Amino acid sequence: MQKFKNITEKREFRTFVFLVAIFVVVGLVNSEFLSLGNIHDSLKSSLLYIVLAVGLTFVLLTGNIDISVGGILGLSAAVSGMILRDGGSILLAIVVAIGIGGLVGLINGLGVTKLKISSFIMTLGMLEITRVVQVIYTDGQWVENLPVAFKQLAQINVLGINLLSILVVTGLILVHLYLIKNKKGRYFSAIGDNQEGAILLGIPVQRYVTYSFVISGVCSALAGLIFASQIGFISTTAGLGIEMTVIAAAVLGGVSLSGGVGSVIGAGIGAIIMISINSALVYMKVPAFWNDAISGTLLIVIVVTDALLARKANKQAKKERLRARVLHEEEVSVDYAK
Amino acid sequence: MLSKIPKWNMALLIILLSEILIFGLINPRFWNISILLNSFNDFIGIAIIGFFVTLVMITGGIDISGGSIIGLTSVVVGILSQVVGLNIWVALVLAILAGGLCGLLNGVLIAYGRVQAMVITLGGMLLYSGIAIVLVGLSGVSAYEGISGFSQGFSNIAYGTVFGIPNSVVLFVVMFVIAYILLHRTKYGRYIFLTGINQNAAEYSGINTKKVIASTYVLSGISAGVAGVMLTSYLGSARADFGGEYLMPILTVVVLGGTLITGGKGGVVGTALASIIVGFMQIGLQMGGVSTQYIGLATGSLLIISVAILGISPEFKNNVRKLVSPKKISGGKV
Repeated sequence: MQKFKNITEKREFRTFVFLVAIFVVVGLVNSEFLSLGNIHDSLKSSLLYIVLAVGLTFVLLTGNIDISVGGILGLSAAVSGMILRDGGSILLAIVVAIGIGGLVGLINGLGVTKLKISSFIMTLGMLEITRVVQVIYTDGQWVENLPVAFKQLAQINVLGINLLSILVVTGLILVHLYLIKNKKGRYFSAIGDNQEGAILLGIPVQRYVTYSFVISGVCSALAGLIFASQIGFISTTAGLGIEMTVIAAAVLGGVSLSGGVGSVIGAGIGAIIMISINSALVYMKVPAFWNDAISGTLLIVIVVTDALLARKANKQAKKERLRARVLHEEEVSVDYAK
Repeated sequence: MLSKIPKWNMALLIILLSEILIFGLINPRFWNISILLNSFNDFIGIAIIGFFVTLVMITGGIDISGGSIIGLTSVVVGILSQVVGLNIWVALVLAILAGGLCGLLNGVLIAYGRVQAMVITLGGMLLYSGIAIVLVGLSGVSAYEGISGFSQGFSNIAYGTVFGIPNSVVLFVVMFVIAYILLHRTKYGRYIFLTGINQNAAEYSGINTKKVIASTYVLSGISAGVAGVMLTSYLGSARADFGGEYLMPILTVVVLGGTLITGGKGGVVGTALASIIVGFMQIGLQMGGVSTQYIGLATGSLLIISVAILGISPEFKNNVRKLVSPKKISGGKV
């Protein structure tokens, strides 16, 4: 019972309930939305965002932010797409993409830790730079005619479930366990929670902050590969503005932008919510132009409610602590009187 | 006299002058004053939003919704004047007020709801551009072509001149002076700095910091509204996606101008210089035959390098001082 209560009190659980609520409400209007096929499709189209959100969560946990994810996605997708188009092997393309993501992430990380540039500015600059590098490398052309074998990768089904979805969800759970159970995994949220304290505990803060940016870069590159495989071509604006959607997804999932709080599962559920809203509107026959207004309103409402709830809980806890202290003092004085 | 100018602004001024010199040497047409003055139209939106985002950033916040407020005000002007049939000047004032309203929503939620500014303005960014798209969708105007057919008087806002000086330059100067006086010459400005340096201390000294913070977002929203009207007049049509690409340039000019993203330090003079630097760089590179697609590389590198120099300098200087005169640091005799 206690365990069940613990789960329901978690922020991820509330996000999940919200996701289920979306599906139920839309399902009441149009029962097709609740079909397994649609749920499967929703998961499939949010894979890209889940992968980005996982990487971003590492950075957000340390109290930094990474705006360059869209740029890294575009660049790595374009470069590996060109390798594939020119007859290179799929393995090579994957390795190159991960290399690019890791390298840009490393530059971000070193800029933040060694040059002491605020992560917002550093990754903002890298976003612009990676975009231009992509344009220069592709000569401003779209990368098209990707080999069929590569495009098929996103469509393989195992036991009726998309293979890529299985891989991403399994990866998500493993990363979650690493962040929660592993000693080193907990360093990330420790750094974001209290950087000075983390230093005093002997955590190599700078190294782990750099790691977080590298992980985010690699995840963005993987998302780029998923993008290339699912969409089948890479435009020069691939991933434009995606960073804001991903940040919104992470925030929806309960990851705090001030660091230390949040989990990859929450961020992943947040990503599914952001994508499901769009397809939900289609099923409810609402014109597509309502998408942004509705996601924006939802984001604001959820975040503000959450902040108010958290503050109320905080106040309650403080009051209880105070009362406990007063009671304790009374006991002590009674003891003295005896 | 020179020593009174902050070092960073001095550096920006030198960058600006050398930029004008170098681009002029590459293409002498760059030295044509009227071309330079007319180019203000291309970055006026970035500059005037930048002035007031500077105020927001000094209080320790951030406002990334400015670009979408441009699109919203543009659509509001278009729909009120062309679809509803209001007088264009009434529509214009209402549109700027709508921008202020967006800012008010941001400000109230951030200051009184105490939610992170980044999150709220991110939601606001989606919401305001979403409202603009909804308005376009409901009014049945083609989203691609936008709303056009504005009167001559309205397009004169962007194309007119005052004593031979383009209106955009006049607007730039007016908005700069307003922001400068507000921030550097009034009590309100001191409150903004104090709030950014230490909100608790400011609160205890009797400043209504919540009001101060909320008001900066309102100002930023109004400035975005003005920018939206200006852009609509300049381009001659109203579209929901105007200003969408302004997010990064606005933050770039504010940060390049020497305002700390953590708050408490900065100024609008730097923002003004930085916006002219970035604006001139675009025309200069275009005149030099560089494709517009590559300009991001220049602004991106400029941003990172300048912030690295800004951030490193105190530490770096200390180290140099230690190396040069170790005795002074060690304290000498007691």
